[in-house]
Amino acid sequence: MARPTSILKAIINRREATILAGAANGLFARIIEDIGYEAVYVTGAGVANMYLGAPDIGLTTLTEVAAHVAAIADAVALPLLVDADTGFGNPVNMVRTVKVLERAGAAGLQIEDQVFPKKCGHFDGKDVVPLQEMLAKIKAAVDTRRDGDLQIVARTDARAILGLPAAIDRAGAMIEAGADVTFVEAPTSAEELAQIARSLSVPQVANVVFGGRTPELGQRKFAELGFGCVLYANAALQAALKSAHDVLAALKREGSLASVADHLAGFDIRQQTVAKPKYDELERRYR
Amino acid sequence: MKPTTRLRQLIADPEILVAPGAYDGITARLIEQAGFAALYMTGAGTSASFGLPDYGLLTMTEMVGNAARITAAAGSLPLIADGDTGYGTELNVVRMVQEHERAGTAGIHIEDQVSPKRCGHLDGKELVSTQEFLAKIRAAVATRRDPDFVIIARTDARSVAGFDESIRRANAALKAGADVAFVESPQTLEEVRMVPQRVDGLCLLNIVWGGKTPQVDLREAQLMGYSIAILPGLLLKAVYGACDAALAELKETHRHPRPLFDGNVRDGFRRFGADQWDALRSRFRDPPAPAAE
Repeated sequence: MARPTSILKAIINRREATILAGAANGLFARIIEDIGYEAVYVTGAGVANMYLGAPDIGLTTLTEVAAHVAAIADAVALPLLVDADTGFGNPVNMVRTVKVLERAGAAGLQIEDQVFPKKCGHFDGKDVVPLQEMLAKIKAAVDTRRDGDLQIVARTDARAILGLPAAIDRAGAMIEAGADVTFVEAPTSAEELAQIARSLSVPQVANVVFGGRTPELGQRKFAELGFGCVLYANAALQAALKSAHDVLAALKREGSLASVADHLAGFDIRQQTVAKPKYDELERRYR
Repeated sequence: MKPTTRLRQLIADPEILVAPGAYDGITARLIEQAGFAALYMTGAGTSASFGLPDYGLLTMTEMVGNAARITAAAGSLPLIADGDTGYGTELNVVRMVQEHERAGTAGIHIEDQVSPKRCGHLDGKELVSTQEFLAKIRAAVATRRDPDFVIIARTDARSVAGFDESIRRANAALKAGADVAFVESPQTLEEVRMVPQRVDGLCLLNIVWGGKTPQVDLREAQLMGYSIAILPGLLLKAVYGACDAALAELKETHRHPRPLFDGNVRDGFRRFGADQWDALRSRFRDPPAPAAE
């Protein structure tokens, strides 16, 4: 059977703008797998939001992210593209980050050129490190990976700070340093997205944040431009957030779930999603 | 008494508080059994126990996890922990203080190196601005839930920006609410002497073997005006030496060397609470005797 790293590499290199839905935990990853997605994006913002109830401002540690990755890797058979933020420090920290996350089960690592600790790519007030430091991190990541197919997705946040041409130049230098894929974060128009795809030799990643800065072109258009994958990192989180809010507000207000019953998954769907039949089968087998 | 309150008492006492460095449950227990009143969790030793140098490679989660192990092992002693830079900005400091308080730590030191940091006695350190350092101290002070939790401000400015700058930063941190100042790596005996004289508050002395600071007798440090002395590497270095010697002797003699600790298996376990655990073995087996009328 092909390794998850090789599968993810093939998916990205088809340049079909494969949609990667984001998960911050095993449950969301299970939903993604059941629906038939080919890979999971492990979202750093999602982990910060769902685990800490905190914003995506670099509060989660490598240890915590790795624990989430390991749990998700155990819950699903899909390859995981993991948000590794800045590598949690400098190029020396990147070495440990790659070791820890590869061992936890990542098939690809997304690393970015923000100053540590980072901020969400669609927030104001973010800052980038000098290009040399980012190139050192990419080289550190490439040298450290044990599996040569572990995808190194180099992200630049320079668009919002230095402008699009500078961001594209940075991505070009990252490719020379060994990045398999680049990801110019937060372009603000269809024309910018097209320019990114035209200018860079390796497959590109687009990140569609609902309510964020990048327009949602739709998968077909992203595929025409040659994007490798399109991240919908927090679609599931935002859906769950609204639904949980509406249901709990109604319960508080009305003292029952009657008016919001259609928001709730049934008991059977819930057990199906967490693979209870599989565990039942294991129980029979080993009894 | 809470460990934080006890730590404050010990610091206020005219006698210098000596806190040897622990990095795991073994070293914590041994410090307790040797009769010291407090202990220190060394970040360098914690890193070494992961097989790593003190280059800021460990995460806050790993450091606090180790602090929790140490407080569980030596519960009667207050723990001063190495909080490094707070592992990021003042926002990361907020999270670190919350986590350390929950781990049972009685006090932490926070330093003004760029995050991720380097050991204070290595070359190539970089500093954050005083403004950023003070933001971290204020964040720590505002976050502690227990007002007795001790915030120690450490400045690494001596080897980067000079002695005067290190004193200026220490005093600014005390003004911003730090309880104790820790001027890292003064380079001469005269500088060691000057720190308590020029700092407007309580001072901590870091005694490192083979570092940048000359060796000082603890009684002398007390006379100089220091309130706390930490010896982070005392046991770690003893362990290197003892292990190297035992391993070399095994290779040479092909026999188990006579250990420095020459007890049997049972004696070894007794150092780690075997008697107390044995008492618990039988204690819950039988229903409690009915209370006398």
